[in-house]
Amino acid sequence: MNLEIITPENRLFAGEVELVKLPGTSGSFEILMNHAPTIATLMEGKIKVKESNGKISYFEINGGVAEVKNNSIVVLVDSSGLV
Amino acid sequence: MANLKEMRLRIVSVKSTQQVTRAMKMVSAAKLRKAQDAIIQIRPYAEKLHDILVSLVDQNGSSDFENKYADHKEINKILIVAITSNRGLCGGFNSNVVKKVEELLNTTYESLYQQGAVDIIAIGKKGVDGLKAKNIKVSGTIHQLYDNLHYSTAEEVAQNLMDAFSKGEYDRIDLVYNQFKNAAIQKLMVEQFLPVEITENPDANSDSHPYFNDYIFEPNVVEIMRTIIPKSLKIQFYKALLDSVASEHGARMTAMHKATDNASELVRELNLLYNKARQSAITGEILEIVSGANALQS
Repeated sequence: MNLEIITPENRLFAGEVELVKLPGTSGSFEILMNHAPTIATLMEGKIKVKESNGKISYFEINGGVAEVKNNSIVVLVDSSGLV
Repeated sequence: MANLKEMRLRIVSVKSTQQVTRAMKMVSAAKLRKAQDAIIQIRPYAEKLHDILVSLVDQNGSSDFENKYADHKEINKILIVAITSNRGLCGGFNSNVVKKVEELLNTTYESLYQQGAVDIIAIGKKGVDGLKAKNIKVSGTIHQLYDNLHYSTAEEVAQNLMDAFSKGEYDRIDLVYNQFKNAAIQKLMVEQFLPVEITENPDANSDSHPYFNDYIFEPNVVEIMRTIIPKSLKIQFYKALLDSVASEHGARMTAMHKATDNASELVRELNLLYNKARQSAITGEILEIVSGANALQS
């Protein structure tokens, strides 16, 4: 599935991933293949991304919104840094 | 002939002015490219945010969203935010904004303005100067914003405006700015910033949604709306600023291009005049010599 992490100033990540873990407002959750369509608000925390080649990376965010639809995930974050 | 020397000096000075305007044009062109890039950067975020908002409204209707930023109250107090630039020499860029504000005050908001119920905040020094020259009172300025224009700084200003609205200090906030079309064209915009207009997609709930998505909302629709609306407002504000910056450089580039062209034209004309004057001076000298020689011979 395809993941995009976007801030107003740049695109932090775009690519094929196997797993995404997001810090949802009501608790952190993971998204795998064929997840149901979801819109979720995110709070301060870490996004964990496992890419298709097995590489794991983390992004520190301070809030945002995520949309999951047809195996494509878009995460809009205010500002963040790669950890 | 002193005239000849004066003309020579004049040509030199026009040429050096031309050099300055040409350099300014180049600088603006480079800055324009940067500003355009920033607009392109923000586009995916803005579009996606809008998509999410539309899908939320599509699925739930817009009527039941209570939001402190969407309160349509009776309008008793208005804030106009005029976005201009800190520097001049960019054609009609700043004066257009000033004129538009003046026009708004004399037409749409005339009665409120006479009661003193319209406040104006100017972003950009040139806007402040222009408004003051027209005897329009400016209640606030934020020009340090341009020194370091980032989403985080713009966000802060937007948040202040939103707080003022939600506290009831203002019943409506308008933005007046130049929207960026391309390097040569800027479109002057008057945009309602607050209260928010949630526009319902006309195609909603019709058959045009073959893959209608039954979204799961985390934690719930109201909460999501509460997060998304401020975000989209901040983006709207940031976008207006970026548009204005790009327009400024575009306008300056065009103005400086014209100035450079005018200078070349002036140099051409002056050269022609100079050569004519020089020629007639030479002719006069030859005449003198020849007639002097003739007088000696006879």
